Amino acid sequence: MSQITTIADVRRHFLNNKEPIYFISATNFNLLGIGDWVGNFRHINYIDCFEGQQRNVFVPKEKFPRDFESIEDINNYLLEHKEVIDFIQSRAQGENAGVAAFLMFDEHTEEVCQQLGLQVAFPPAALRSRMDNKIETVRIGNKAGVPSVPNVLAKVGSYQELCEVSRELGDDLVVQTAFGDSGHTTFFISSEDDYYKHAEEIEAEAEVKIMKRINCRGSAIEACATRCGTVVGPLMTELVGFKTLTPYKGGWCGNEMFAGAFDQSIRDKAREYTFQFGEALREEGYRGYFELDFLIDMDNGEVYLGELNPRVTGASSLTNVAAFAHSDIPLFLFHLLEFSDVDFDLDINEINERWAHPESVDSWSQLVIKHTDESVDLLTQAPRTGVWKMAADGSIGYHHYNYHPHAAEDESEGFFLRISGAGDFRYEGADLGILITRGRLMDDDFQLNARAKAWIDGIRGQYAGQSLQDPVVEEVAVSHAVGGGNFKIL
Amino acid sequence: MNVSPSSREVPPGEMDKMLDFRTVHEATAGPRWQALFAHHWPAYEQWYLSEGERERPGYLACYNALRRHMPELLDTYRALCDLAGGGDLAARFLSLYQPPPYITGCSQAVLASPDSTVLARNYDYPPELCEGTILYTHWNARRVIAMTDCLWGVLDGMNDAGLAVSLAFGGRKSVGQGFGAPIILRYLLEFCDSVPEAAEVLARIPTHMAYNITVADSAGRYVTAMIGPDRRASIRRVPVATNHQKKIEWYAHALASETLIRERQLSILVDDEATTEERLIAAFASPPLFRHDYRRGLGTVYTAVYRPAAGRAQFHWPGLTLDLGFDHFPEERITVRYGVRGLHSG
Repeated sequence: MSQITTIADVRRHFLNNKEPIYFISATNFNLLGIGDWVGNFRHINYIDCFEGQQRNVFVPKEKFPRDFESIEDINNYLLEHKEVIDFIQSRAQGENAGVAAFLMFDEHTEEVCQQLGLQVAFPPAALRSRMDNKIETVRIGNKAGVPSVPNVLAKVGSYQELCEVSRELGDDLVVQTAFGDSGHTTFFISSEDDYYKHAEEIEAEAEVKIMKRINCRGSAIEACATRCGTVVGPLMTELVGFKTLTPYKGGWCGNEMFAGAFDQSIRDKAREYTFQFGEALREEGYRGYFELDFLIDMDNGEVYLGELNPRVTGASSLTNVAAFAHSDIPLFLFHLLEFSDVDFDLDINEINERWAHPESVDSWSQLVIKHTDESVDLLTQAPRTGVWKMAADGSIGYHHYNYHPHAAEDESEGFFLRISGAGDFRYEGADLGILITRGRLMDDDFQLNARAKAWIDGIRGQYAGQSLQDPVVEEVAVSHAVGGGNFKIL
Repeated sequence: MNVSPSSREVPPGEMDKMLDFRTVHEATAGPRWQALFAHHWPAYEQWYLSEGERERPGYLACYNALRRHMPELLDTYRALCDLAGGGDLAARFLSLYQPPPYITGCSQAVLASPDSTVLARNYDYPPELCEGTILYTHWNARRVIAMTDCLWGVLDGMNDAGLAVSLAFGGRKSVGQGFGAPIILRYLLEFCDSVPEAAEVLARIPTHMAYNITVADSAGRYVTAMIGPDRRASIRRVPVATNHQKKIEWYAHALASETLIRERQLSILVDDEATTEERLIAAFASPPLFRHDYRRGLGTVYTAVYRPAAGRAQFHWPGLTLDLGFDHFPEERITVRYGVRGLHSG
């Protein structure tokens, strides 16, 4: 194909695509709807959120309950599964099995992909892992002129040491380790007691990031570093730590995207910083999709770099469905383009200008609903994936099946993606499902609004479980845990 | 890990156990093999999952292990996986790569003379855990008659190129990375013509547990390979094997299985110039080689006698003999009753 120079070329290129392109992950949540843009696109997932109704989702039939340690672990399990290998090989063209994208992968994933003839559409795992390091992020940001919250990077061996190295930051501190999931490795420390709660984790690290605690709001922005420059999506607010959604203090539990999220100067600054950071990433050898968290200081309007996720994220589901994405192409298509062997020359500045315009950004929100009780039970009933409708009294009911958030037409409707289903165990922290809806779910004080609360109650009310004290349930649990007998029995 | 055969005590009065032996003649794997799979799979699945699914390697690791160590077997493997329904777990099981640990008893001996080679053995094991399938196949341009284990693995058998093989547990507890021995024996029968070829294979293929594998060929050559996951294979021109490798390492098993007594008995027999084929075979029918210890899962389930030069295989039970050969392989079913008062067939 000759050089791609317009967005129309990109659209046509992907609609006519014949080479298999896979998104391999626990669910297809992060790239909902991308199949509408890309020919021959398939999701390979562990969980079938659609109960077999979604044609481009492949889930192996024969699965065993496992305690996966990470998303990489799930992906490696999938890629070594016979049904998945048979599926990929049945669609391969000779040695070329196509392109694989992941939320997470590691060196083992890379080896398996190489054997299967899959090209991984991401920079190498080793580079991603280096970029994902929160301490490295600070350094890249400093180099690119993107400031972090006032901080010290140091090895900490005791509370005394912590106080000494962080004297200039004050008494109210936030300590983060280099790697970690939302809410699991961020420690708020304002006293010796606070320190001892987390001392073991902090002291195990070669270096931690110690920040001054500021009165801030979390925000997220996604972008894609391409050879023509960094394409920047809109700034989103983050839902963080709501007890009705997540059991993890400070844990991510959703996003809101709307034109007026923060004021114009903050949005401009965040976009500018993201562009600069993307260019710095390219110098580090990283390219493709990434997400930045910015911490917005509510006292003075400063914009600080929070963390870098060098990958597709939980916010990608919103970034890729909004109006700007549909007026041009979803951000993820720039990523696929960057990793294809197609020659392209696009005017990235022009796209960024257009996407910065408030009219490009319509309003979408999502809630990630986890089980927040300590109880464990076996789900006997779960709400189906599709469009749900809220009545005037706040009650909700199933409306119709659809796979795409756009099918929710107005604020009275929500697209629900079911994650935990009947037959799954419901335990503290388990993802129950994700609700995506038009409009906002928080008020200007960053508190859940009444509609959000009604949706959360409504969705939770659709789940029913059977207690583990039940002997039948217990037997299922035990056989899951230990398997059958322990001798070759015929 | 549980490798104790005596973990399940059978109460008195429920001592009689029955096992059906079946001869199955199917040149190319098809509906008959598929029926065997369907019949045995539920029990094998339970066993395969006994330590938890996660303990077993993934399909890709199984496939890669086969491709690396026994690539010639892949076509057969794929065909059987398809017949088994094409699923993930069955394919992993059928690779016999890193299965749950298990053990067998057994005595085996070769009597080689210029005109005839005989490989005879007793299979000592819980009868209820034996498949009882004697399979005639013509999968890889060689006809093979074998007593199967794990649906296509081999406990003992011979091919029409004149090679006979037999498997005995090596009496050591070590478990490591490798294959269950029955698939190694299958590989030998599918792709080796002679003892030197088999010896080369036995030296290189990794096993997950300790086994003693005796091979003999129509030219009168024989070796016993003592293989294990933790040391180099010892392959020597020894005609006899029971359930220990060189010195005793697992005393409880050695005592329970009387491995030393059986080895001494067999050694005396094969060293005695006066020993005829008939005398050797007869010895397998009485103590100490024939064992009645069904209660602890160490009783003799059958006696097999292979004459690779003649292409003949015999299976013996007290009062009954099944005579099979490449040119004579009727499909039959034999019910054998294993009880405190002895073993009956009929």
